[in-house]
Amino acid sequence: MISLQDVSFRYQRDKWLFKHLNLEIKQNLITFIVGPNGGGKTTLGKLMAGILKPQAGTVLVDGLNTKDVALAEIGARIGYLFQEPERQIFAASVRDEIAFALELRGISQEEINTKVDAVLKQFQLEQLANLSPIKLSRGEKQRLAIAAIMVNQPRFFILDEPTTGLDRERKGILSSVIEKLKDEGIGMVIISHDQYFVQRHAQQIITVAGGEIVDVASCST
Amino acid sequence: MWQAAALDPRTKLFLVLIFSSLAVFIKNVYILLLLLFITLLTVKVIGGDITSIFRKLQRLITVFVAIIVIQSIFTAEGQVILQLVKIKLLTDVGLLRGVQTVLRFFIVIAAAAIMTTANPRDIIQGLIQWKIPYELAFMVTIAIRFLPLLQEEAKDTLTALQLRGVNLKKIPLFKRLKTYSYLLMPLLVSVLMKSRDLSVAMEMRAFRAFPHRTSLRELHFCQADYLVMAVGMVLFLLLLMISVKIN
Ligand SMILES: Nc1ncnc2c1ncn2[C@@H]1O[C@H](COP(=O)(O)OP(=O)(O)OP(=O)(O)O)[C@@H](O)[C@H]1O
Ligand SMILES: [Mg+2]
Repeated sequence: MISLQDVSFRYQRDKWLFKHLNLEIKQNLITFIVGPNGGGKTTLGKLMAGILKPQAGTVLVDGLNTKDVALAEIGARIGYLFQEPERQIFAASVRDEIAFALELRGISQEEINTKVDAVLKQFQLEQLANLSPIKLSRGEKQRLAIAAIMVNQPRFFILDEPTTGLDRERKGILSSVIEKLKDEGIGMVIISHDQYFVQRHAQQIITVAGGEIVDVASCST
Repeated sequence: MWQAAALDPRTKLFLVLIFSSLAVFIKNVYILLLLLFITLLTVKVIGGDITSIFRKLQRLITVFVAIIVIQSIFTAEGQVILQLVKIKLLTDVGLLRGVQTVLRFFIVIAAAAIMTTANPRDIIQGLIQWKIPYELAFMVTIAIRFLPLLQEEAKDTLTALQLRGVNLKKIPLFKRLKTYSYLLMPLLVSVLMKSRDLSVAMEMRAFRAFPHRTSLRELHFCQADYLVMAVGMVLFLLLLMISVKIN
């Protein structure tokens, strides 16, 4: 699904964060990326989604080089959840937030309504549907952001710390959504510090620290 | 030589004003070139980042070409250099005016780089000592500090929008307007939230609790400052006189 070949990346001129990285992410697995703060997890996730482009080497998504292909093209294949939910909240109401991307892509109103209703229900956002997303609490924003990318039904997800701000019950809901997606053969990369969450879902764990992949472990759940 | 970076921020501001107003007054391309050279030299001596000036210019190249073409099309006079059907794409007068405009841009951008060598706190202090109200001076520096941040955020937002599967190039024109409103939203929210947080944080630290503020650090002009300002003034008058004479 995603393949990093000899990838090197740096933010600043004289400081490489990643050097000659090689990594394969399989389509139907749940891969966790763990490691200390500032280790490069978010950066790795952004490289995989084509948000950042490597200075050297290639990143292939479904065989497409992220350097050549439009972000929207990748967005249709991969749902990306940003670490900060504010960055991806665009609309004036919760409902519109979930619906607008579908509208802009020219999907029929009927289809949009069914899809949006289903997702609202799934993430218990029905009561909030007409509120402004700005007024939501941190955990509600997080759920909204997840709901908004799930409605696109991509075949793969990259979630950057999806459990931040979620209470126990909502974490449980997210867990069951992830399990359901997994059963449908949809894979994901999840960046997380949440030990319980990692143990519960991980099929593969990549540990990143100081810009290096220090460990790749497979595990059975 | 004196320590150039230690020049008073007011002196630097003075230089910026001189260079940019000269850039506006002068019409002659050769004098503009000379002025550009002097400006770049000043930036270099003061310790500014010349490569960043060129990087900024690189991004404006298309605008520059457009300026030259537009000047050519809408200027009646001049010899035609390049013609497409009946439209004069490039004339010598147009080229001259275009180059003029480009040089002016260049000088102003280069002059602005002088200010980046000054510490923002010192700039506020300098403005205050010029009897500009503290609140106003503070707002100006905040704006300067937040602008690059905003630019960064705008880029991120655009990325996030595209990642939702929205391809800006493929959206019909009437729908695109709506798309822009979606882009504006997170930016507006972020600006409002930031300013709210900032004002609360500032009041928590007793900003404006007393009507009169004193400063721990006060700026004083030193000999170098007077010298630089004098040289700047002479240069200003000289170039102005020459360009008036030539016209
Ligand atoms: N836009 C940027 N410009 C410059 N340096 C950056 C930028 N973003 C991140 N970095 C640096 O790159 C390194 C890796 O950052 P990254 O955000 O990938 O870490 P992380 O593993 O996601 O951390 P966290 O657990 O806190 O989310 C850090 O040292 C950080 O300071
Ligand atoms: Mg991170």
